[in-house]
Parts: sequence; structure tokens; C-alpha cells
Amino acid sequence: MKRPGLASTLVKIVLLCLLDAVAVWGVIILGSRGSYALLGFLAVGTLLLNFVSLSKRAYPLRYLLPGLIFLFGMVVYPIVYTVYISTTNTQTGHILTKDQVVTQLESRTYQPPDGLHFASTVFQDEDGQLVVILSDDAGAMLVAEELEFLPLAADDPRLERDGEGRIVAVGDHVLLEGLAVFSVLSELETRRYTYGTTYLQLSGIEEFREVVPLYAFDEGRNVLVDLRSGVEYTPVEGTFTAPDGSVVEPGFRVNVGARNYTDILSDEGIRSDFVRVFTWTIIWALLSVVFSFALGLGLAMLLNDPYIRGRFFYRSVLIVPYAIPAFISALVWLGLFNTEAGAINRILQDLFGAAGKVPWLQDPIWAKAMLIFVNTWLTFPYMMIISLGALQSIPGGIYEAARIDGANGFQRLTRITLPLLLVSTAPLLIGSFAFTFNNFTVVFLMTGGRPPVLGAATPAGATDILISWTYRIAFQGVRGNQLALASAIAVIIFVIIATISAINFRFTKALEEVHRGV
Amino acid sequence: MKRITIALLGLLLLAGLTAVAQPKLTIWADDVGTPVFRDIAAGFTAVTGVEVEVVEIAFSDIRGQFNTAAPTGEGPDLLVGAHDWVGELVVNGLLDPIDLSARIDEFNPVAIDGFSYGGLLYGVPYGVENVALLYNKDLVPTPPATWDELMQIARDITDVEAGVYGYIVQNPDPFHWFPMLSACGGYIFGKNEDGSLNPCDVGLNDPGAVFGAILFDEMIEEGILANGVDWDTMTGVMFSGNGGMVISGPWLIGSLRDAGINYGVAPIPSFSCDDGTVGIARPFAGVRGVMLNSFSKNKTIATEFLLKYIATEETALELFALDPRPPALLSAFDQVKSDPDVATFGEVGQNAIPMPNIAEMSSVWGAWSDAQALIGNQETDPVMALIQATNQILEAIGCE
Repeated sequence: MKRPGLASTLVKIVLLCLLDAVAVWGVIILGSRGSYALLGFLAVGTLLLNFVSLSKRAYPLRYLLPGLIFLFGMVVYPIVYTVYISTTNTQTGHILTKDQVVTQLESRTYQPPDGLHFASTVFQDEDGQLVVILSDDAGAMLVAEELEFLPLAADDPRLERDGEGRIVAVGDHVLLEGLAVFSVLSELETRRYTYGTTYLQLSGIEEFREVVPLYAFDEGRNVLVDLRSGVEYTPVEGTFTAPDGSVVEPGFRVNVGARNYTDILSDEGIRSDFVRVFTWTIIWALLSVVFSFALGLGLAMLLNDPYIRGRFFYRSVLIVPYAIPAFISALVWLGLFNTEAGAINRILQDLFGAAGKVPWLQDPIWAKAMLIFVNTWLTFPYMMIISLGALQSIPGGIYEAARIDGANGFQRLTRITLPLLLVSTAPLLIGSFAFTFNNFTVVFLMTGGRPPVLGAATPAGATDILISWTYRIAFQGVRGNQLALASAIAVIIFVIIATISAINFRFTKALEEVHRGV
Repeated sequence: MKRITIALLGLLLLAGLTAVAQPKLTIWADDVGTPVFRDIAAGFTAVTGVEVEVVEIAFSDIRGQFNTAAPTGEGPDLLVGAHDWVGELVVNGLLDPIDLSARIDEFNPVAIDGFSYGGLLYGVPYGVENVALLYNKDLVPTPPATWDELMQIARDITDVEAGVYGYIVQNPDPFHWFPMLSACGGYIFGKNEDGSLNPCDVGLNDPGAVFGAILFDEMIEEGILANGVDWDTMTGVMFSGNGGMVISGPWLIGSLRDAGINYGVAPIPSFSCDDGTVGIARPFAGVRGVMLNSFSKNKTIATEFLLKYIATEETALELFALDPRPPALLSAFDQVKSDPDVATFGEVGQNAIPMPNIAEMSSVWGAWSDAQALIGNQETDPVMALIQATNQILEAIGCE
């Protein structure tokens, strides 16, 4: 092995230094925000990167590491995060942490209508320390250097007045005027001052009001106390709940263990929707793949025939559906299938009269037929391309031998072409089954899962597949979103897809053996 | 040595970050609000020295992004939004109430009602909108006063073969269906004694709502109302001059004018209810306004900007000039109501009810729209469909 030159070593070290500097900056930022999980990941990742690029022993890892990082960041992390969310109660009304909710509730106040109110002036010294002077309508004054207001005599020696009698300084603290007033408001509004037994707080640009705190949280007993009524709220599944069942909003995120999973499995409504949606998902994926493969293979065999002229032209044209982004063609097809004004129904009505007005989007069967048709149109070019390639690999001699033995066209197809073709295409078919299984785009853009089904417990329409159903549960849930429940369904889908993949690997291996046999 | 250098660098960066404590307002606005708020922000900065950053975000994206950004402290101080987001954002703990009590009489009460939740106001409204009957004067010379007249006109001029529709409306689309259901007493959520909405009192199976649903069913059965009409179909028919009447909102006016349609705006026709009374349609009102983030670090300054700069007549008129949504500020509305279209929408709006703003509304839209689709597709009879939808909603919300 050639020793790396001085220049390349220098470049390497400079790049590494830059990377480390960025990482250290990132660690500081993450640390100050309290995102310790990401911080740990970043730190470990950076150390690993340094080790790999500096150590000779880890040389082979240099080629694997980028792949591993992407695997972790884009595959493992989302899966782990989804599983984590599925064990919480994350949904509308439960998106904050308990600390955030307690902070917010403790800062809630009530302004009694006949409470004290004052005009305020603010003074600041060179260190940025603030002194506030309040004066009420009668002219009595209060001053606060810390968080407590005390009475202030008009002839207090610390006060400095200008010619008009206006106070311009308190000791070292100088009056803030004009723009300067606004620079301290955001700091002032967070302070809750005491005055005797009452609390005073900033309530406008230059005014203070008496406020009454509404809640206090008792850390030791883990209860939230309503300071006005004395009612105690205990946290129940992420919501502060009183003994009589009334609650304080907002709720917060807590871990609920396997509850979302048991809900899916035990709730009669959810379960029957799940079974119906799952059945249609299987039919949808299976029929899409079978039809598009049949069409693709048929066209490939046609195009493979040397007697056809202009094969290049046909092949190019037939790939067009594959080249147009699916979401554009789906919307175009949606327009064509429109029941009232669509071109397809116009043609059908010309041919068959009123019977030609097919309810493509309103009838479950027609809607399903339309979806499978469009998806077949979208995916047959892919099947055609892989079939074209696979057909080339079948030796022509076998067909010749079969012809001599008296096999007809159909027999040649079923006995020679298909078995040999499936060896190389079956794994791709299974892959495309798994892809169609989760083909959200077509279903969501064309029918959005509709038409509806009478008596469904969840938003599950006749053409909803698992993934679009999950989406509707996640974002059109009871009070907004139900991310946790949707995550649990996503995990279940993941398990199903993982099983299909496992079978795929087995099947591929089996086919390889067949191939060796041939 | 290297380690010390890195540590020093890090400290420097940290110091640099904490030094930026100068207050700065961030506002999330849609394409209409952005230019207007940028304009008035300049004046605010001159007086207060506070920099205002107006970030333009597509209206439909603001809600979702705010839900994600606000809890992490990355959200704006103020955001433009619709009143029916309030329930969700409040139960998420993301909004702070605004004290507008001193100026409450200056605003359209429907708009104030829309932004009120649990007895507090969570947004300063600037625009109110609702649907009315838009008609093509070339096909329908005089607008119908009653629904029976509307049906007769539809009967006379509808010619599906030729693609001419006397009356067309988006469906399934509960928003545009509600006037029919509400005219004789249908409602979404009943009210508690304190005026707040009661999610466990769903009025979709109320006799009044059933009346409207049966009417809808009969019109489809008779062939004078097309079933399954989306926005594109509706606009296609109207803009080509083949649509006689449509229930829609101010958002359609500009495009109708551009398409060269000789249009008019009229009140929604009245209904003769089963009990012999005359039912006046009560469409939904949608209110737009500006809300205050509960995680804002500059609430006092944000409130100042909101009340003294955004909630003014000039700002309301500037917003109206860009988007003809009747202003919620009454003094501004009085200045623009000389436009007959605005005046008619305003007249219909006096009977409008704000779309329910409680978070539970989310479970209503889907079930309700499904019910309309099932009726329209002639699969389920109207009474059954509405009962089913009501039960589905009550079960989803968790009411007994």
C-alpha cells in the first residue's frame, strides 16, 4: 500500500478539524436545548468518524461508515422514533411536556376587575439592572429594585428630578425613554413582583396591574392546585384531572405502554375496519401487480419479436407513463374519470346512453376498478422493462428445440418463457407488491379513500389502503391528530411488510436453487 | 492544545448566541397578510426600535407548522389563522388570550364569537366570510327568493346532455351543505348554559337537518342537482357560462369576473319548513384573524403591535384591497359596503354562525361528508345516513 502524501494528509486533517468544530458547536447548541439523545448521537458519531479516519486498523470501515450513517439516520432512527411515539399518548391536546404545561399553568393569572393598577417607569444602570417605579392615580409611588415593590417617598434622596419635576434617575439607574423602553419589556413581562400580599405584573407598555395566580404545582405530592377554589388536580394519563372529572387543559405527553396496540386489537370497531382495509390492501396490491405484469410481459414479448418494425419507437412511447410523475398522471386520470364532466363518461354516454354514466368515484366497486386501472397504467412500463431484459437472457435454442418437439405457442409460453422469466423477475414482483401495498400517492390523490362505508367506526373508506387509513387517523382524528394511534398502526404495517420481505428472501434463495438446477 | 482551542471556539460561539437579546417580533402570515404587515411593520420599527420579521407561509400550512414549531420555541410571536383552529391550538397549549374588552364593540360580533373559546378571546379578527347565492344573469335573470323557485329554475334550464346546470354546488362538501340543514333548525354542536359549545350535543339528526337532507336527496333523485361535484367541476361549469346558480363565497367572485360571467350575488333562498315556518339559511362564517403564541418571549410588544397596528381601520382596508373578505372591523366594513356584492355577503352574514371552533369539530367533517356522499350516491336514505353520522361522531368524541 502506498503511503499517503503530505498534501492529502493535511487536507484530511483540515477537513476533520472543520467537521469536529461544527460537531462541537452542535453539541453546545443541543446541550443548551436539552436534546440529550441527539447530543449523544452526534458525539458518538463524531468520535467514531475521528477514530475511523485516523486509525489504520479501521481502514475497511471507511467504506462502510457512510452507508451505516445513512442507514441509521434514515431507516433505524425513524423506526425507533415511530415505535416510541406509539407507546405514548401523543395527539391533539397532548403535545407538550409536563414541565412545559406546569410552567404555562403556573404563569396563568387573573386580573381582578377592581385590582390595583399603576403607570410604570423603568430605570436601568450600566450593568443592565432594572428598577421600576409605579405611581397610581393619586400620585402615591412604589419602587422595586428586586422582585418586591415598596412604598417610595416623593422626597427620597435617591431620586433625581429634572426641571419639570420628572424623575430622571434613581441612584445609578437612568430613566429609559423612547425606543429604550421596548428593549426591556420582554424581560420585564416575565417577572412577577410582590407588593404586600398581592402580585403585580407588567400589563402593557407602561402599566402594571395586580394579578392573581390561578394555579400552583406541588412538586412533592404531584398535584396541581387551583388557587381560587382549592380543587386539587392529579395527573391522569397526561391530563390534570379533578376528583369530579373536570380537567385543566392543556394535557401533556406521557408513556402509556402498549395501550394503543391493545386499543387496536380489542376495539370491535377499529378491528373490523382494520380487517376490511387490510383485505382490500392485499387485493389492491395483488391485482395491480398481476395486471401490470401481464400487460408489461405481453408488450415485452411483442416488442421482442424481430419482425415488428419501429420497435425503438414503440418502446419509447410505452415508457412514457413511467416517466411522468405519478402524482401528475393520477390527477389527470382523476379529471378523465370525473362522473359529471369526465371524458371517459362522455364517451361511454355517447356509446351506451344514460347507462354509460358510470359512478367512478361514488360506487365502491367502480372506484376500486378505477384505482387498479390507473395503477396498472402507471406501473406496466416498469414490468415491460424488466421483462424485456429477462427475455433476452433466455437462450433462443430452447425455443427452437421446443418447436421441433412440436410445442405450440401457448406451451412455449407456459413451459419455457414463464418459468425461466420468473427466476429473475419474481423477487422484483414481490418488491413491487410491497411497494404497491404502501402506494399512498395514487389512492390519496384519486379517491382519498372514498367513497365512504356506512357504519365505519374510524375514517376508513371503501378504497382506503392501510397507509392512507393510517394517514386519515393520524391527521383527521377525533380532535385533530392522533399521532400515537397512527404510529401503532404504522408499526403493525411495518411488521407485515417485514414478513413479506423475509418471505421474499426465502423465495429468492429457492429460485436461485431452481436456476442452478437448470 | 487542540482541545483548548476547540473549547475556546465553542465558548465564543455561545457568547455570540446569548448576546442577541434585542427583542424582535416574528409574524407568520399568508400571501395576503405578508405585504400588508411588512408595510405597517416599518412604522412600528420606527417608533419602537423593534424589528419585525414577516414570514410568508401558505395559509393551509401555517396551522401544521405552528403546531410543530411552537412547543420547541421556534414559532412566531403572532400568526395569521382561521378561527376554527382556535380549539385545537388552545387544547395544545399554544395560544394566549388577548384582552380586547375595551374595543369589543368595534368588531362584528360573529367574528368575536368565532375567536372566543372558554370565555376568552384568542385572536383579533380582521375578515369574515360566508357563502351566498351567486348566479349567472344570462341564464337566471332574477334570483329566486325561495328554494321552491330555485328548484323550478333548475328544472327549467338543466340540460345534462348539453352540460348546462341550473343549480350546482360542491358536494359532498358539508361547508356548502350547511345552509340547507341549518335553515329549519339543524346545528352541529348545541350550546351549554354559559354559551360554550357542547361536543356531546350533536344536532345533525335534528328534524331540521333531516329536512334539508331529504331535500338534497330529492333534488339528486330528480336529476336537478349533480352528485359528486368537486371544486374543479363546479368552477368549470360556472366559468364556461353553463351554470345558472351556485352557493359559494367571495373567493369565487374574482375568477367569475375574469371569466367574463355576468354574475350577481343574492341572499340564499328561504325554505318552507315542515312546521310551516319560513326557514332562513344560516351559513357558516369563517373568520380570519391574528393570534398570539403562548411561547412568545415578547408578548407585551406583540400585543402592542397587534392592537395598535394590525387592528386598525387602515390595515383592515389594505387587507380588503388585496382580498375582498368583508372586514371584521365595523368602521372598515361601513367604508366598503357600497360595493353591492360585499353588502349582500354582509347581509347573509348577519344570519351566519361561526364554524364551531372546538377541536372536536375535526371528527365531524369526515363523518358528515361521508353522510352526504352516501345520500348523494343514493346508497342510504337521508334519515339513516344522518343518524349514523351522528352516532359515529358521538362515539369518536367519547360521549355516552
